[in-house]
Amino acid sequence: MAIPETSGSKVVAPLRDAPAVAGHTGGLSARMSKRRTARSASPDGDAGTAFWLMAPALGLYAVFTLLPIAATFWLSFNSSAGFNTSASFVGFGNYAKAAHDPIVWKSLAHTFVWLAYHVVMAGGLGLLLALAVSRLRITQVFFRTAFFLPHLVSLAVVGVIWANIYDPFFGLMNTALTRIGLGAFTQGWLSDPALVLFSVNLASSWQGFGLYMLLFIAGLQNIDRSLYDAAEVDGANSFQKLIHVTLPGLREVTTFVVSLAMINGLKGFATVFVMTNGGPFYQSELITTYIYRLAFQSQDHGLAAVLCILLSLLAIAITIVFNRWRARLSQ
Amino acid sequence: MLKFLARSTALAAMLAASSLAAHAETLKMWGPEQITEPLVAQLWNGIKADFEKSNPGVTVEFMPPTGTISNGAVQAAIQSDAGPDVILTNSGIGRISVVKNAKQVMPLTEQYEKRGWKDQIYPWLYTELKGQFGGEIYEVPDGLDALGIWYHKDLFAQAGWKIPASWSEFEALMKSIEETGLQPIAIGPRTPGSAGHLFGNLLQSASGKEVIGKALRREIAWDDPSVAAGAIRLQKLVEAGDIKKEMAGLDLDGASRLWFNKRAAMFVAGPWFTANARKAGYDLTNAGYAPMPSDIKGAAMPTGGVGWSWLVPVNSKQPELAMKWIDFMLSDAVMKKRAQDPASTMIYPREIAGVEPPTPVLKDIFAAATGGVGYNPSVYLPGTVLDTYFQVIQGLISGQIGGEEGMKQIQAKMAEAK
Repeated sequence: MAIPETSGSKVVAPLRDAPAVAGHTGGLSARMSKRRTARSASPDGDAGTAFWLMAPALGLYAVFTLLPIAATFWLSFNSSAGFNTSASFVGFGNYAKAAHDPIVWKSLAHTFVWLAYHVVMAGGLGLLLALAVSRLRITQVFFRTAFFLPHLVSLAVVGVIWANIYDPFFGLMNTALTRIGLGAFTQGWLSDPALVLFSVNLASSWQGFGLYMLLFIAGLQNIDRSLYDAAEVDGANSFQKLIHVTLPGLREVTTFVVSLAMINGLKGFATVFVMTNGGPFYQSELITTYIYRLAFQSQDHGLAAVLCILLSLLAIAITIVFNRWRARLSQ
Repeated sequence: MLKFLARSTALAAMLAASSLAAHAETLKMWGPEQITEPLVAQLWNGIKADFEKSNPGVTVEFMPPTGTISNGAVQAAIQSDAGPDVILTNSGIGRISVVKNAKQVMPLTEQYEKRGWKDQIYPWLYTELKGQFGGEIYEVPDGLDALGIWYHKDLFAQAGWKIPASWSEFEALMKSIEETGLQPIAIGPRTPGSAGHLFGNLLQSASGKEVIGKALRREIAWDDPSVAAGAIRLQKLVEAGDIKKEMAGLDLDGASRLWFNKRAAMFVAGPWFTANARKAGYDLTNAGYAPMPSDIKGAAMPTGGVGWSWLVPVNSKQPELAMKWIDFMLSDAVMKKRAQDPASTMIYPREIAGVEPPTPVLKDIFAAATGGVGYNPSVYLPGTVLDTYFQVIQGLISGQIGGEEGMKQIQAKMAEAK
C-alpha cells in the first residue's frame, strides 16, 4: 500500500494501484486525483467553454453570413419578382436563363478586364510612387499624405468628380488636352465603347493606389540596406539594383498587394454605377452592376442570385489559382 | 387640501399626456425630389402645415428623397420596412409595374370610388389608369409630363432661326445651327429619363401618336418599319454629326449644363425643367418651347403621360392617414395653391380653372398640351423592357448599333415581358 507523501509544497503522486484510504491523507489524495482527472480531461472542458464563448460570434456569423448564403442558393432556384412575393421553384431555370443571357457573358468578360486594369493601374501606380517617394528625404511625409488622400474619399464621390473631369464639353481632361495643343487627343471618355472601362477604372484606381503605395513603402523599408551596399560594390547601376535587389525584396508585399487589388477589383461597383451605370450599351457592365440592376431595378431576384453565386465561384477560383502561384513563387 | 390639489393636477397632467399620445400620429412621406430647393421647400412646408392644422395630432415627416423606382431606391425603401407611409415618385405604367409585380404597393381602385378620386382627375386619365392592370389601379397621378423642345429665345432671334413645322425643315435647322459651332441638340442618355425624352419625341415625330400607341399595346412590333423609323432617324442624326457621339457619356445634368451655357441650342424636356433652370440661375423668360416637328399631320405634339404619382406601400404604418393625405393633395385648395406657386413645375391631373401659370414657358407648355399629349415610351413600357430601351438609345448615340437592330432588341424584350 502506498501512501502519498507531501514534501513542502511538492505533492508526490500516489501510485497507480493505490487504493483509496480514509482520513485526511486519503482526502488529499482524492482531491489531487480529481485535479489530475480534470487536467487530463481539459481538452473536453476547454472545448465546451470555447464553444460557449464563441456562441455569440457563431450566432452572428450564422445569421449574417451562412443564412444569406443559403438564402441566395434558395433564391437561385426560384422565380421571384420581389421579396414580398411567394417564390415559385424553377429548378435550374435561372441558371439556364443566365447561360443564355448575352449581358451575363459580356459583364463577365468586363469583370476580368476590370480586374486586370485595377491590378496593373492601382497596384502599378502604387509601386511606382512608392519607389519615387521613398527616395525623398525632406518632403516624403508630404507626398505620402498627398498621394494617400484620395483613398479617404468615398468611391461614389470619386465617381462624381471623375465624371465631371471626363465631361466631353466642359471637363478638365479634354480642356487640358486642348489647352496644351493636344486637341487631337480629346476623347469621349465615357462614351467611347473601347475606352469607357479603362476610363472608369482609372478613376477607381486613383482612389485605391494610395493604400498600395503605403504598403510598398513599408516593404521597401524592410529591405536589408547591406544588399544595396553589396550591389554597389559589385558595380550595379540603379536599374540593376531595382531588378536584382528591390523587386525581389518586395516579393511578399507584391503578392499581398496583388491579392488585395484583386479582391478590390472584384468588388468594383460604385464608380461604374455612378459614372456610367453600365453603359453606354452595356460597355462597362460588370457582374456586380448587373446583379444590382437585376435585383433592385428589375426585381429579378432569381437571376441576380445566380450571378451572386457565379461571382462567389469566380472569387474562389481566383483565390485558388493565385495561392498556387504564390506558393510556387515562394518555393 | 394642498395634497389633494397636487394629486389632482398630476392626474390631470397624466390624462392629458396619455390622451395626446393616443392621438399623436406621424405620416412619413417621400416628397418631391427638389425639396432641398428653398422655393420648393417653402411650398411643401406650407402644405404640410395646412395638413397638420386640419388634422390635429398629426405630424408629417418628409423623408429625404434619395431616388426613384428607376434606380431601385423606392423598392429598397419599401423593402427596408422602415420606409415612408406614402410616396411621391416618378411613375408611369412601366415603373409602376415594377413595384406592382413585386407586390410592394397597395391597390387603390376601391379608394377611387370610395373617396371620389375618379372625379378629381381627367376622365381620359382615369380610363387610361383603369386599362393598365386589368382594372386595378396602384397610383394616384400628381402630375403629367409634356415633353418638347426647349430653345433659347435670344439665340434664335439673333440668328433668325425658328422651330419649323416639318421634319425636313427641322433637319435643315439643325445643320445650320451646327455650322455656327453650337451643338444643335443636347441629350444626356446616361440618365434614363433624358435618354427617353428625345427618343420618344423622335419616335412620335417619325411614326405618329397612333402607331406608337399601337406598339405600346403590342398591336405592332417594335421592329416594324413604321415604328423603327424614329430609331433610324436618331441613327442618321448621329451619323450626320447633328448629335455628337460624345453625348452618350453625358447625364441629365451634363446635357442641361450644355444647354444652360448656350453651347447647345435645343434640349428636350418637360415642365419640370423649370426647376432645373431656376437652380442653374437661367433666365426663364428666355426659354421657348415647341413640340418636335413632324411631317405627319397632328403628330407634332408633346409626348408625355403620367409623370408623378402617389403610391402607398403595402407596409405603410399609416395607410388611412396616407389616403387622407392624398385626399388633401387632390383638394381644390391645395391644387390651386400649387398651380399658382412659382415652384410649380408640372401639368396637374385635372383642369384648374382661373389659374395663371407662374412662368411664361409653362404657359407655352400648357398651350402645346391642350390638344393632349402623345406617348413617352419611358413611362409606358413594361419595367423589364425599360433597361434594354435605354441601353439601345445609348447604343444608337454612341454609334454601336443601328436603328433597325436596336428596335429588334426592344421587340425581343417586349416579347419576353408579361
